[in-house]
Amino acid sequence: MLTGFELLEIAALLFAVLAGLLAGGVWIAIALMAVGWLGMLFVGGVPAGQVLATIVWGGAASWELAALPLFIWMGEILYRTKLSEEMFRGLAPWLGRIPGRLMHVNVLASGLFGSVSGSSAATTATVAKIALPELKKRGYDEMLALGSLAGAGTLGILIPPSITMVVYAVAANVSIIQLFLAGFLPGFLVMALYSGYIAVWSILNKDKMPPPEPRMSFREKLKESTNLIPLSLLILLVFVTLILGWATATECAAWGVLGSLIIAWWNGVLNPKSFWDSVMGTTRVTCMIMLILAGAAFMSKSMAYTGIPLALASWVDSLGLGQFGLISALTVMYIILGTALDGISMIVLTTAVVLPMVQKAGFDLVWFGIFVVLMVEMAEVSPPVGFNLFVLQTMSGKDSNTVARASLPFFFLLVVAVALITLFPQIVMILPKLVFPD
Amino acid sequence: MQTAVRRKGLGGLLDALYLWAGYGAGLFLIIIFLLMMALSAGREFGLNIPSGDDFAAWSMAAMAFLGLAHTFKHGEMIRVGLLIDKLGGRVRWVFEVASLSLGLFFTGYFTWYAVRLMYDSWRLNDMSQGVVPVPLWIPQLAFVAGIALLTVAFLDELIRVLSGKKPTYEREAPTTAEEVIERAMESAV
Repeated sequence: MLTGFELLEIAALLFAVLAGLLAGGVWIAIALMAVGWLGMLFVGGVPAGQVLATIVWGGAASWELAALPLFIWMGEILYRTKLSEEMFRGLAPWLGRIPGRLMHVNVLASGLFGSVSGSSAATTATVAKIALPELKKRGYDEMLALGSLAGAGTLGILIPPSITMVVYAVAANVSIIQLFLAGFLPGFLVMALYSGYIAVWSILNKDKMPPPEPRMSFREKLKESTNLIPLSLLILLVFVTLILGWATATECAAWGVLGSLIIAWWNGVLNPKSFWDSVMGTTRVTCMIMLILAGAAFMSKSMAYTGIPLALASWVDSLGLGQFGLISALTVMYIILGTALDGISMIVLTTAVVLPMVQKAGFDLVWFGIFVVLMVEMAEVSPPVGFNLFVLQTMSGKDSNTVARASLPFFFLLVVAVALITLFPQIVMILPKLVFPD
Repeated sequence: MQTAVRRKGLGGLLDALYLWAGYGAGLFLIIIFLLMMALSAGREFGLNIPSGDDFAAWSMAAMAFLGLAHTFKHGEMIRVGLLIDKLGGRVRWVFEVASLSLGLFFTGYFTWYAVRLMYDSWRLNDMSQGVVPVPLWIPQLAFVAGIALLTVAFLDELIRVLSGKKPTYEREAPTTAEEVIERAMESAV
């Protein structure tokens, strides 16, 4: 353990080194290892290399972590299926009378797809593939369509399963299943905020709404809804097994892969090439994440040796910010980080230092996981490196400024969601508490 | 996906090695899937795979490390491009050499200690604690091989860049919507 002034100097130095390495284009995993190594050098007497090999081997050889590649794989397979078309056709007939009409497809379809996909880029792309051209053809306002697609696409990581949540669960050492359960209600909250905004917007901008669709009979509507059957079965397969406790998170991911393969086969898009492409795509994404997690595990250990996180936590505690002050400060910090970093790096870089702080302030780590996921969602829809913006920019052919401006209201709705879960933490905690009473 | 220029001699051999180790990682993904299905369905029917969770865990580690070199070569290892993407010419080259040297040092360091971990497991005859005892150095072999291959890949790229060639992992900016979506999905968010 180091003391007082020395500690402050070392913390500042390590932070400067990390920022410099990252800005200089060093691979994130390597930069994390370098900072971890440097930290151990300062402490002295720590067998850094041995710690590195032991921690990484122990962390990687984990069957709980095997949920990660399986959920990624599920998204890779489903992206190649016809689900997006089926979702649009199945949902559209029921929305004719609600203010905002077909615009709500963006939110509902993203929510549905989000509950089988763990990635927001995949969700945005899948839903936008059909919704964007269809809404344009029918004369809906393009700015609102783009904004709601960018915003709703982020539901992919808030509504479980979620790759982001698995990464946080590993980094923060909390239960993956509890985190998944905690994501449901905030997911519905964000959907309600988005749909509410769309409804209010279309009441205020009646002149920008296209003429209504021809009416369908109830029977026709039901017939169109049969399009939703494959997706609903998949959701049931994944979540009923999970919630009833028949399967662990990893096993339910495997069931999800099986269901997705069946849907792909049913749609006629499963062949040896597409299968192997999805396997290799998954492998590369998993390897990329795993090396970052390895670097992060090493850096966290090193930080623990230096005692910096605890000292910082006490210092923040002594400032007397209160819970809201702390959350507001962290929100600003994450928004700034989100302009330069991707979601995974944002999580693993901060957990080592931030978690002791929030624990000391009395927050539950499961609750904080949902907060962090919302932060990543905000980063997804804010320039300059919001991946959802990139996806929509190329799909719509608009320039980046237009798409960013279209997404701005939905960015602020996410801020509202953060405020709401901070004021009413029960929104997050009620489901995990119900299933795991202690 | 852009096709890299086929290299001859040692380079060609290395490229094949990166790729086949990547395929190996892909196979371990399929093994994880099959194992988890068997574990989950097996419990209902009273079928038990001895040490199934151990094997799944080791497959996970094997998958994560065997695919590293291929992932790196393919340009999917994440770095922050905001600054260096704007640089060009000599300055960019210096940054690239510095990043690669640092990468080479730390992957090499990691490899050295991973080998020692495996050597200790072998020397002390460490066995797994599950129903089926397995000497731990066997599953650690894939972990060590993967990280060693990544070190070789870093050295390979460093030599490439030092001799004035473009790095293999550098990719053109995506142009079609398909490519952008693919890139976005590679970021895993």
